[in-house]
Amino acid sequence: MGFAELISQYGGRYLTALLTTWGMTAVSYLVAMALALVVTVMRVCPIKPLRVLGDGYVQVFRNIPGVSLLVLVVYSLPHLGLVLDYLTSVIVVVSLVASAFGSENFMSGINTIQVGQIEAARSLGFGFGQIMRQVVIPQALRSVVLPMTNLLIAVMLTTSLGSQVPLSPNELTGLVSTINTHTTGGIAAFAISALGYALTSVVIGWVGNRIDRRVRILR
Amino acid sequence: MSAQDTGRAPGSAGLAPTAIRDVLFEAPGPRTRRLMRACTVVGVILVAALVAVVLRQFYLKGQFSPRYWLFFTRSTTWAFLANGFVGTLKVAAASGILSLVLGLVLMLGRTCGVRVVEVLSRVVIDFFRGVPSLLLIYFFFLVVPQYGIKLQSFWMITLPVGLAASGVLAEVFRAGVNAVPQGQVDAALSLGMSRGKIMAKILLPQAIRFVIPTLVSQLVVVVKDTTLAYVVSYPDLMQDARVLINNYTALVSVYLVVAVIYVVLNYLINKLAAFIAARSGVTLVTRAGETSL
Amino acid sequence: MTPETIEQTPVIELRHVDKHFGDLHVLKDVSLAVHAGEVVVVVGPSGSGKSTLCRTINRLEPIDGGQILIEGTPLPQEGRALAAMRAEIGMVFQSFNLFAHRTILDNVTMGPVEVLGVPRKEAERDALELLGRVGVREQAAKVPAQLSGGQQQRVAIARALAMHPKVMLFDEPTSALDPEMINEVLEVMVGLAQGGMTMVVVTHEMGFARRVGHRVVFMADGQILEEGTPEAFFTHPQTERARDFIDSIQGH
Repeated sequence: MGFAELISQYGGRYLTALLTTWGMTAVSYLVAMALALVVTVMRVCPIKPLRVLGDGYVQVFRNIPGVSLLVLVVYSLPHLGLVLDYLTSVIVVVSLVASAFGSENFMSGINTIQVGQIEAARSLGFGFGQIMRQVVIPQALRSVVLPMTNLLIAVMLTTSLGSQVPLSPNELTGLVSTINTHTTGGIAAFAISALGYALTSVVIGWVGNRIDRRVRILR
Repeated sequence: MSAQDTGRAPGSAGLAPTAIRDVLFEAPGPRTRRLMRACTVVGVILVAALVAVVLRQFYLKGQFSPRYWLFFTRSTTWAFLANGFVGTLKVAAASGILSLVLGLVLMLGRTCGVRVVEVLSRVVIDFFRGVPSLLLIYFFFLVVPQYGIKLQSFWMITLPVGLAASGVLAEVFRAGVNAVPQGQVDAALSLGMSRGKIMAKILLPQAIRFVIPTLVSQLVVVVKDTTLAYVVSYPDLMQDARVLINNYTALVSVYLVVAVIYVVLNYLINKLAAFIAARSGVTLVTRAGETSL
Repeated sequence: MTPETIEQTPVIELRHVDKHFGDLHVLKDVSLAVHAGEVVVVVGPSGSGKSTLCRTINRLEPIDGGQILIEGTPLPQEGRALAAMRAEIGMVFQSFNLFAHRTILDNVTMGPVEVLGVPRKEAERDALELLGRVGVREQAAKVPAQLSGGQQQRVAIARALAMHPKVMLFDEPTSALDPEMINEVLEVMVGLAQGGMTMVVVTHEMGFARRVGHRVVFMADGQILEEGTPEAFFTHPQTERARDFIDSIQGH
């Protein structure tokens, strides 16, 4: 099947798939960021058990393969009395994994700050909250722009796990598999999805670089 | 201008540099200490409660029943899983080597000085970094056969995983080359060395030494991608787990055990990378260019 | 101002202060009083505890034993009371520690605006005047990394002064500077001292000590071994350790 034929027959579905991928990416990324924030707060707080829990969380979710987590959520959780629909399952899996990497990014962002700056703020009479708001968080955020950009791309690529469960509508990867089970889509069927991903990645990367250049801290 | 942070260790007291998370909170006073103790107790209780809820749910749903766990005491079970594990390692090793070679080639292409080759390499790198491994797997699994090319399932998983990793590795290599001080290149140029010679004799040997720990840590990504082998029915650990599940109708326990195996394996790979980095005194080039989870 | 005109209550008083880093006993029964208008220069070999001493005064380092009084009030151990006390004690660090993400002007106004609640306009006027006083007014719109080390340290001094502190602590303020930049920073400090600021200065700059120091405190192994006028200390040290130390810093 050629491009023209594919587009005329499946064009609408490709568009829906692209939007689905974007939507899953956006939701997963937001959830992941929120989780990452909570986990990072746990990891830097002086309460030992929470620190250990936060560190453990990151070790588990950065090392577990997405598929392995997906089968746990989709097939194992129902046996334990928790049934999530397929779309939610995929988003949960992507968010959990991404949050571990997000927290790592936040931690390395915090680590770029000189200890001395915190002491300087302290000696000016800044309280803990002021130090966080005025010194730590703004600097940490500026230095994580690039890694967080790459994480956004990674989240998008990982939503392809959605092809491993029945989703309706399909996301980009699932659609390729669907089309090829109905017809011989050939290389074009694959290329359209691939372009959808690759172009989105390039745009995200470009925007991220622009932002980074604007907010980067001179050292 | 280098404002080295020497503020922390007073005089030459020789204390190890403190991680920032230990400095965010200053040394507590008596009231803060009491508060922290209280919070610690609450924290322990919360964590324990969480564990208790999970265990209770396992118990209530009968997931602790011996029939779900006893077969793990049989050697045949482990032999079967070990077989799958070897399959995982084989695919990981083969895709690892493939991505090393291709990553190196792509990096050389991207920095070769010939405009067309540079642009082409860049497009290929960006493509492999910007497309999910799963999509590449479907390409080799569904699309390639349509053109009459018959691949063994081993290659249907190894090729896409290797290709996906090569884009990232090209960037890792490039970061390594960039880490070699420019002065050395200038010195070599002043000796009349050619571009190619400088790359082969001066840049690459050092660059590779710089990036070895990062390359090792990239194995984690490869191992994760190999879990998609079931798509092409290649018997890796995940695929063998599915067979076990069918045999014993013990889904939760098997998937849990397999997940633990993967987490431990990847954890060890990360530890190894950190160990090599510490020993060779190079900093682990972060996952800056990485776009896989 | 001379030591004779000193008020009764010292601005800073350390009584039998003890401090450990793990097994290391870094401050051993240290007692010291600094009076209003006094410039005390703390010298000693590295590892003698002089930096730690300086950092205990605003509790950047907590102490294990003894007492620290600021104008007769015990140094609070935590919370708002501690922050309020710190706001009245200026500190200048070896490594400048300017806030890397903010402009020079912001660096100086942040303290007054955030901590003292000074209106921004007023704080900026004040800051520009201070920056002018330390000679970096033209740099106000830049960020720290665009300034030389000497300029950064002068900004750091202005930042501390903006809080109108009752005492200034200097923790080896010139040790991280290239030689040609040391004097521009010392000049600012001399000006401060001559203006009557109470100062505790950890430094090896003998010229500074002789010009404006009222008292030199010599520390070694966590103890104060000698105290005296700069003239007396540098020309007639009483202890072997002090003699060795003076020889070593005069060596270069």
